[in-house]
Amino acid sequence: MGNKQTTFTDEQLEAYQDCTFFTRKEVLRLHGRYRELAPHLVPLDFTNNPDIKVPLTLIVTMPELKENPFRDRIVETFSEDGHGNLSFNDFVDMFSALCETSPRELKTIYAFKIYDFNRDNFICKEDLRKTLNKLTKGELTPEEVTLVCDKAVEEADLDGDSKLSFSDFENMISKAPDFLSNFHIRI
Amino acid sequence: VKEFVALSTRDRIRAIRDLAMSFEEKKHIRWVLTDKQLNLYCYTCNKLHSQSLRRCGYSIRSARQTLELWQGIMKEIGGKFGTSVLSYFLFLKWLLMFNIFSFLINFGFITIPLLVYDPSPNIPPNVSFRGLEILTGAGYFNYTVMYYGGYSNETLIGLVDYNMQLAYFFTIAVYMVLCGIALIFSMASSFKENYVLADTVSNSAWQLLCSWDFSITNERAVRQRKNNLRVQLKESLSERAQRELLTLSEKLKHFGVHLGSWLLSTGLAVGCGASIYYLYAANWSLLQEAETLLVPFVVSLMNLVVPLFYSLFNKFEHYSSLGRQIYALVVRNVLLKMSILAVLCYYWMNVVAEKFSCWESMVGQALYRLVIVDFLFLMLGSFFGEFLSNVIGTRLLPRLGVPEFDVARNVLELIYAQTLAWIGIYFSPLLPAIQILKFFILFYLKKVSLTQNCQPPRRTGRAAQMQTIFIALLFFPFFVGALSIVAYTAWRLTPSEQCGPFRGLNNTFSVVGVWIDDLQEIPASQWVVWIYQNVIRSEIFYFLITLIIIVIIYIFWQVTQGRKQLIGQLRQQIVNVSVLHP
Repeated sequence: MGNKQTTFTDEQLEAYQDCTFFTRKEVLRLHGRYRELAPHLVPLDFTNNPDIKVPLTLIVTMPELKENPFRDRIVETFSEDGHGNLSFNDFVDMFSALCETSPRELKTIYAFKIYDFNRDNFICKEDLRKTLNKLTKGELTPEEVTLVCDKAVEEADLDGDSKLSFSDFENMISKAPDFLSNFHIRI
Repeated sequence: VKEFVALSTRDRIRAIRDLAMSFEEKKHIRWVLTDKQLNLYCYTCNKLHSQSLRRCGYSIRSARQTLELWQGIMKEIGGKFGTSVLSYFLFLKWLLMFNIFSFLINFGFITIPLLVYDPSPNIPPNVSFRGLEILTGAGYFNYTVMYYGGYSNETLIGLVDYNMQLAYFFTIAVYMVLCGIALIFSMASSFKENYVLADTVSNSAWQLLCSWDFSITNERAVRQRKNNLRVQLKESLSERAQRELLTLSEKLKHFGVHLGSWLLSTGLAVGCGASIYYLYAANWSLLQEAETLLVPFVVSLMNLVVPLFYSLFNKFEHYSSLGRQIYALVVRNVLLKMSILAVLCYYWMNVVAEKFSCWESMVGQALYRLVIVDFLFLMLGSFFGEFLSNVIGTRLLPRLGVPEFDVARNVLELIYAQTLAWIGIYFSPLLPAIQILKFFILFYLKKVSLTQNCQPPRRTGRAAQMQTIFIALLFFPFFVGALSIVAYTAWRLTPSEQCGPFRGLNNTFSVVGVWIDDLQEIPASQWVVWIYQNVIRSEIFYFLITLIIIVIIYIFWQVTQGRKQLIGQLRQQIVNVSVLHP
């Protein structure tokens, strides 16, 4: 290939192409975006796999994430330490899972993790309440919030434990055909 | 990991990508697997071969990405207006690809051989190019390769013997078949992914919570979405509080209003069709150019004005859900467009084919004029529909507010434009070039109009289902209709005597018969002759195929029914199990 770049070795780029849904060019572009967030922190040369993590506060300034109500949860879900500090691999992983060619199953798994605020592998009413608050910014009265959450759990809960397990969530998602096109961030 | 070892390399890569693990873990698994393969099997040449195939695939993917049109604009539109508005632009881009493909095929296989063989068209001496031809398509253009009449019926002697008749016939046939296959595949995949048949409770709380569009990046759009969501949630809560039970008299009233508007809409559609027929049949004493432009003008005017009436009727009717409202509107618009197209085609097939000597070129010209005038009216419609509504909504009547982008109406206009191109391929092989220009300009026009005049849609959801419906509409009435018109022309109508590649034959299809007769002399191609005589021309073959297909459909249908039952039973089992083990 003609373009000489010294950011990654060819093996690294091939690993990225095999494990994510991005092409070579997109990976290099992502590196440029990652570096833009913290130019003094992120080196230009990644050939020796530096261990750099960009903190949450810088990642959520990206225009793709800035206005998203779930930006904190998205970044936390894909970070290894759970606090939102992303290495470049996590960064690529995040956008790969949310891209257009990512399959429905993968998106469902990550959507579940994002909506599960307390990370107990169940979406309980408290998680739904937090989701609703993020979406409506507290303009519904507390009674309305409770009503909506109760109604949602009632509709989706199949096994009757008044919280949603992953299979309940998956079942509801299969009835929402817009999910695949909505759960998608363009980079 | 063990199960990954047994997969082929391509499936393994796909499986690794689909894992919901962090990147380091996926890389580790990948390394383990390739290492294992190298140690255990040592098929080094196999590994290199699959690796080079993969590398080839990746470079093809990157190359395709550089050719992708309008990526930046799509991202901007999706970020500000959401997925449903973006689907219109994606649909436009998809239709543009159809036309580019058609133009390349037609130009390459039909026009270029003729141009190489005989570069100067034989134009009679008193006809010259005036600017008006761009609008009417007649005059100078009539004698060029723009229309059917400009093509010869000889076998061109050059580097190879190129049979123009066969080339024309097979190019058009192959293109239509490929279009049909592409449409069927995309319809099927869209159906599989998006269409949910049962309980589409669009107002359920769950749907609202999970319908947040993650690709919106504009701050004002996000705020508006949050407002809309809040309003929708409040609506759904209040609906739950008072489930309105309609009395019998109210139901009868609703039914009466529905019936009235359906009758009115169908009447309007039929009326439009009839009036176009009479316009065509009557003799007007107008300037010749103006006369030819009259019918396309009236057609496009109807296509612009009558849907507004339909929207007006829609306001008076009462629908139980938003989906039904949109479907009714779409069906009425489709009826209108189909009736207009049907009348036009009927007139062309029955009256024009008898009256004129070079009738295919006449039909080609009529279609060209329709396409051009349709484009002008689309631009006008954009001006009136969006710009003026914006001005009225912000300055004059603030109550109306800023208009929304009406995706359904715009997509139907696109489908109609594409149908005209499909019908016109047989009569005017270079019509796709005009269509390409038209769509290109339309994209930028709509984008500017959207960003300047419209606000993001208020009611969210249903984008994926609408997408499926539109593709199904594109295929089923419109493409199949265009295909049947072309097929009818090729099969039943006598080609004109003086011009075109099929002059002198009884019908276009007999070209194949003549070719098969020629092939019979060559002993090496006896199998083609055998296939033609015993498979394509025999009725028993089609009968058997139909029977087999019906049986297969029946079997699949029964399997689907069985699976539905199974799903119900499993669901019940989950509930039972959870009751027993809380």
